[in-house]
Amino acid sequence: MSLLTLLHQTLCGAVAAAGFGMLFNIGMRQLPWCAGAGALALATRTYCTGLGWSLEGASFTAALVVGAAVQLLHWRMGISPTAFDVVGCIPMVPGSFAAKATLGLFAAATKTGSGDTRVLLTALQYTLSVAFITGAIGTGLAIPTLLLRVRVPLHASRPDR
Amino acid sequence: MADVPTVMRTCPPLGSTPVPPLNAITMATLDAARLLMESGGKAKSVDELVHLIAHGLGAESAELRIGYASLSLTISIGHSSITRMKKVGLIGVNQQLEQGLWHLAKRGSHERLEVEQVEEQLARLALATPRYGAWVTAVGVGLACAAFGRLLGVDLKGSVPVFLAATVGQIIRQLAVKFGLNVFICTGLVSSVASLLTSMGGRLAGSGTIGTAVIASVLLLVPGVPAVNALNDILEGYPTLGSARAITVMMTLVFIAAGLWIGPILLELWH
Repeated sequence: MSLLTLLHQTLCGAVAAAGFGMLFNIGMRQLPWCAGAGALALATRTYCTGLGWSLEGASFTAALVVGAAVQLLHWRMGISPTAFDVVGCIPMVPGSFAAKATLGLFAAATKTGSGDTRVLLTALQYTLSVAFITGAIGTGLAIPTLLLRVRVPLHASRPDR
Repeated sequence: MADVPTVMRTCPPLGSTPVPPLNAITMATLDAARLLMESGGKAKSVDELVHLIAHGLGAESAELRIGYASLSLTISIGHSSITRMKKVGLIGVNQQLEQGLWHLAKRGSHERLEVEQVEEQLARLALATPRYGAWVTAVGVGLACAAFGRLLGVDLKGSVPVFLAATVGQIIRQLAVKFGLNVFICTGLVSSVASLLTSMGGRLAGSGTIGTAVIASVLLLVPGVPAVNALNDILEGYPTLGSARAITVMMTLVFIAAGLWIGPILLELWH
């Protein structure tokens, strides 16, 4: 994997995350943090796939890294960690696989020839990839949230009335 | 509390009137919870917000049942308790509104706030939370989809149609939401228009990756936040809401695919 590829993927991840940050109405001052989270996610995933890892494993690691970074830094960002988690990982959500899987299933439903099995198998492969990648991202984000979250007892801050 | 029905544990004696602020506290807290749900908050966050606001307003216990389309809350003070329900509207993502709600909840837990103040703040948040202009959002989304396209391997000639189609698609989506069109129909419509525009633009520009470009142009519709929320909700002990979100995500994907299927057919008919 060349440095140029890594930079290209990182930049595209940053632009995609910032664009979706606008769609999610994240404040202007926090948009650079969104871009940073997207860039971190894509850089990690590209680096891991460059090492020969599967897309699922690379996505899990990238989500884990983004989740941990967000949990450790969110107090500086001035925004809820959930939003940053999600926006940072949005460029990794397998939207194209999901679309291809659904289209493949449509095609398999209408085919009647001998190519049915192949079409169905491809659609099934995409469906499984979507399920595993989404699961990997969700689990990767959930682990730092569950482990690193600072827990404040709710009753401790209650005012006397 | 997870997705199990709450039970009124203590009731006021027969013939007595309920404690006056109890109803107001419950409705204000439910309003905050509804706004957070509609802003794309996950179940655990909604539960935490409800506890912060309810305790800040003086409730001794707050038990919430979170559904996809409604919320039920039981608030108790002393021997009195009350259960109220509220419908949840169209679920979207609005981070600035979510941030405002958390700010209010934290303020309420540190200083004494009256119910009227909370109601007033909630109304202000719902109406006055700043949003990006429609065109600014559309251009941002267009750029994001073009970047997605590059990540998927779309060539430069195909990236421009992706940008334009996604920008137009976002504008159509905003108009459809404004006119109250069904969210799934809106998804199918945007998907078919964006795929049609990308196919046409890709052919005119001489792109060699039209198929991938078409998919990139509809990625603005992929419900990423609900998908991650669904998984988080299930992992964090809210399987009912998580499953409902997952089904909605699946239906959205079906409508995106239907739009992707219709777009090229329209193009062929036109030619």
